[in-house]
Amino acid sequence: MASKKMLCSEWEPINPMEYKGIWVYVEVEGGHIHEASLQLLGEARRIADELDTYVGAVIIGYGIKELAREPIYYGADKVFVVDDPRLEKYYPNLYGDVVCKLAKKHKPEALLVGGTMRGRELAPYIANNLKTGITADLTSIEVDKETGDIILIRPPFGAWMLAHIKTRNRRPVMGSVRPNIFPTPERNEDRDGEVIEETIDEVLDPRMEYLEYTPIEKAEEIPIEKADIIVSGGKGLGSKEGFKLLEELAELLGGVIAGSRKAVDAGWIPHDRQVGQTGKTVKPNIYFAVGISGAAQHIFGIREAKRVVAINIDPDAPIFENADYGIVGDYKEIIPALIEVIKEMKMKKSGSAKN
Amino acid sequence: MPLDIIVGIKWVPNTTAVNIDPKTGTLIREGIPSVVNPHDLTAVEMALKLKDKYGGSVTAISMAPPSALAGLEHVIGMGVDRGILASDRAFAGADTLATSYVLAKVIEKIGRFDLVIMGHETIDSSTAHIGAQVASWLNLPYVYYVVDAVLEDDGNTLEVTRILENAYEKYRIRLPAVISIAMHTFNPRRVRLSEKLRAKMEKPIEIWSIKDLEIDPNCAGLRGSPTVVSGIDFVPKVPRKNEVFQGSDPKEAARWLLSKLIEEGLLDL
Repeated sequence: MASKKMLCSEWEPINPMEYKGIWVYVEVEGGHIHEASLQLLGEARRIADELDTYVGAVIIGYGIKELAREPIYYGADKVFVVDDPRLEKYYPNLYGDVVCKLAKKHKPEALLVGGTMRGRELAPYIANNLKTGITADLTSIEVDKETGDIILIRPPFGAWMLAHIKTRNRRPVMGSVRPNIFPTPERNEDRDGEVIEETIDEVLDPRMEYLEYTPIEKAEEIPIEKADIIVSGGKGLGSKEGFKLLEELAELLGGVIAGSRKAVDAGWIPHDRQVGQTGKTVKPNIYFAVGISGAAQHIFGIREAKRVVAINIDPDAPIFENADYGIVGDYKEIIPALIEVIKEMKMKKSGSAKN
Repeated sequence: MPLDIIVGIKWVPNTTAVNIDPKTGTLIREGIPSVVNPHDLTAVEMALKLKDKYGGSVTAISMAPPSALAGLEHVIGMGVDRGILASDRAFAGADTLATSYVLAKVIEKIGRFDLVIMGHETIDSSTAHIGAQVASWLNLPYVYYVVDAVLEDDGNTLEVTRILENAYEKYRIRLPAVISIAMHTFNPRRVRLSEKLRAKMEKPIEIWSIKDLEIDPNCAGLRGSPTVVSGIDFVPKVPRKNEVFQGSDPKEAARWLLSKLIEEGLLDL
């Protein structure tokens, strides 16, 4: 690196050596800590041990003190708590401002945020206020053995490759991580740590007013990340109607439906059912990929599926290289055939049971 | 109470199958047609709907090489009044911090505005960073995933409804503000030939360089980007059986597949 650094005039100079600790922003929703935050505590623990530093958890809101020890049980050494009536309602700019104030005071080396919808809204604001870079949807973290630099890793779009991303001249290193990328560590009440209560004198005027929270009434559906059987559709279905067949098959097998990014982009299936690097990572016993070509990002999301079944009209679709069992053909013929055979088998079974 | 609205758009490759040059780590964009990021068209539609209802203006902004002019022409064809392309060699290689800085400078230079609207995320990098970062640079209130926005009678607050994983939230937000629109909230209107012709006649698209924007070159492009790609490696491939049914009878195929899955104890039928 050049000795005379030409840095952006908007950046206050920093000395990276002063920055210690791996921080996790702990998101509280409805009185509970979001699982995505717990998962990050486990990964932060691993990185902190490698760098011989501490794991810090930041937990802010109002009436959240009773949750303050919780991050310790999942791997945190220090928990920074701001329990303040002004934080009763969530405003992204206000919450971001408070987290920034803590980060400026304690200078963490890294700050990780769970990639929930609120987390993805909040994290870039925090990063920008700190004039640091941020990597979205990272999938693993490494420490450079020579320099001790934290490297965030994410697949760039549509390629069988992983980009290693370093943060130059700025701290903290920041990243957001989608839920279920890292496993949830085991809760251990014997773990010891320190709760540090912080007070904030002046907070940002959010210039917003919270009016209403309306829960979305969803049918009792199994979330795709917890399903044992997933029937997933892609662009090859050709229309939203195609998902009706998939739904019938899923129902018959006690599974759920999901979709590729293209199916979501086309509006055929909701965003919370998207499988892949920018959607969800799933771990079913059987994953049916129907009309899904098999872009790298999609394959990434099914890497932990026990068995992948590909049904596609194009014999050269990359999905076949990434499937255990493949059927080349029109899904409009294959899926009804599957439904029919399953029904026959079920009938036979119930018939023989009666005998 | 007219609303002056700024919409951010990105010119993106129209595919997720873009490859990366293993030697340089850069995207191979040759031969891949580009489009306006579809989620940004949803944002444009929201802006035009608000303009239809309350009057005012819609300005689309983008930071990109000159080829992205076609994207601005497209949204002008939808009814956007004005387009501004921040384009300069010095902007190349920007991460989201440096990109949002340039866009914030563009917005500052435009001067008068009530609302900045962004798309949910882009289909190429899907970071969803820029909205929050622009709000941070300009110190504006912001909220993501908006599905509905109503201007209140006072003319300077917007009542927005936004969607989260399991809930809708309603906020009253003081203008000027930044919002992002949840994907698929609206179907973008079609391009109208008359509007496109107007674009050709009136030339409502301007290109602003780093000089026009008075930006410190250390804050733009690669130089203004704290994050850099330090290396590329391959995604480890999960070993799979790769058995493909040989035949063409759908029922035979179904029986073959189900017997495999039952044999492995993965299905109980």
